[in-house]
Amino acid sequence: MAPLAVQSTIPERPEVMPQFRSVKSYWDAQHGRHTVRILPGEYYVSTGDEIITTLLGSCVSACIRDPQTGMGGMNHFLLPESCDDRAVVGSRARYGTYAMEHLINVLLANGGRRERLEVKLFGGSRIMKNATDVGERNIAFIRDYLRTENIPVLKEDLGGTHPRKVLYFAASGRVLIKKLPLSENTQISELESSYEQAIIKKPVAGDVDLF
Amino acid sequence: MKILVVDDSLAMRMIVIKTLREAGFGGHDISQAEDGVKGLASVKEDKPDLILCDWNMPNMTGPELLEALNTEGISTTFGFVTTEGTDAMRDKATELGARFVITKPFTPECFRAELGQYLA
Repeated sequence: MAPLAVQSTIPERPEVMPQFRSVKSYWDAQHGRHTVRILPGEYYVSTGDEIITTLLGSCVSACIRDPQTGMGGMNHFLLPESCDDRAVVGSRARYGTYAMEHLINVLLANGGRRERLEVKLFGGSRIMKNATDVGERNIAFIRDYLRTENIPVLKEDLGGTHPRKVLYFAASGRVLIKKLPLSENTQISELESSYEQAIIKKPVAGDVDLF
Repeated sequence: MKILVVDDSLAMRMIVIKTLREAGFGGHDISQAEDGVKGLASVKEDKPDLILCDWNMPNMTGPELLEALNTEGISTTFGFVTTEGTDAMRDKATELGARFVITKPFTPECFRAELGQYLA
């Protein structure tokens, strides 16, 4: 008997930009798309019909796309606990500013236009009852940042007490949100805390090259 | 002395200018432009002593601005302040005659140490 031809129904992953080649993806059979999961402090921009997903507690994700180029991306950031100055120019708030700039720069460098950008915002929950409201601080920052940059917000789901799972369909801009049970808060809070500790320990400084 | 900050992000221009002040350079005359085209016009009109310029900008990018300055024989001290500093970008910056590339995020200490020689 002739062997059955094995036919894969999974299409090839869309082209990945050089800076994201190390980012792994998986096939989401339910939604029929290659999917990239990002963690606190990461961002990703898709050139095609992929899903970008993340879990959010007090962190905020901005999902941004240019409908004309069809490229969309997501970041995931928080401002550290020690941030007493949430204005966009505050020393710790700069982590948020850099997270936004990284994402927007990739979109603009690939034909996007600032005035066409569609922004959707998610996260900023108050997931730990006794802690200071880190989520509120992150929300205040992102609103202040976008107001400064004169970029309108198309849609948002911010605040509350439940953590969220976000699925962003980068090519269309569609978003699916799942509010997770409060029992997930501890795990997400630990993930965000370890990221926060990492950025507190790391000084706010980049590299300088002199020629 | 005159410093020109060129960046398409208002938030980032605010951060660069605040960092210049924190680094002790607030006494200098600091102006700003939101892209390379406006930066070029500003250079011709105000004749700054130092230009701190973003890499990616609409209308005219940072490297395009530096090329335009080179073409016009304007040799103002020019450095890039960019979000990403790849080897290819650094090579291009060197080739065009940039004096430095500062990668964000940066600190007042970094600005003080690296820009002091141009702002004495």
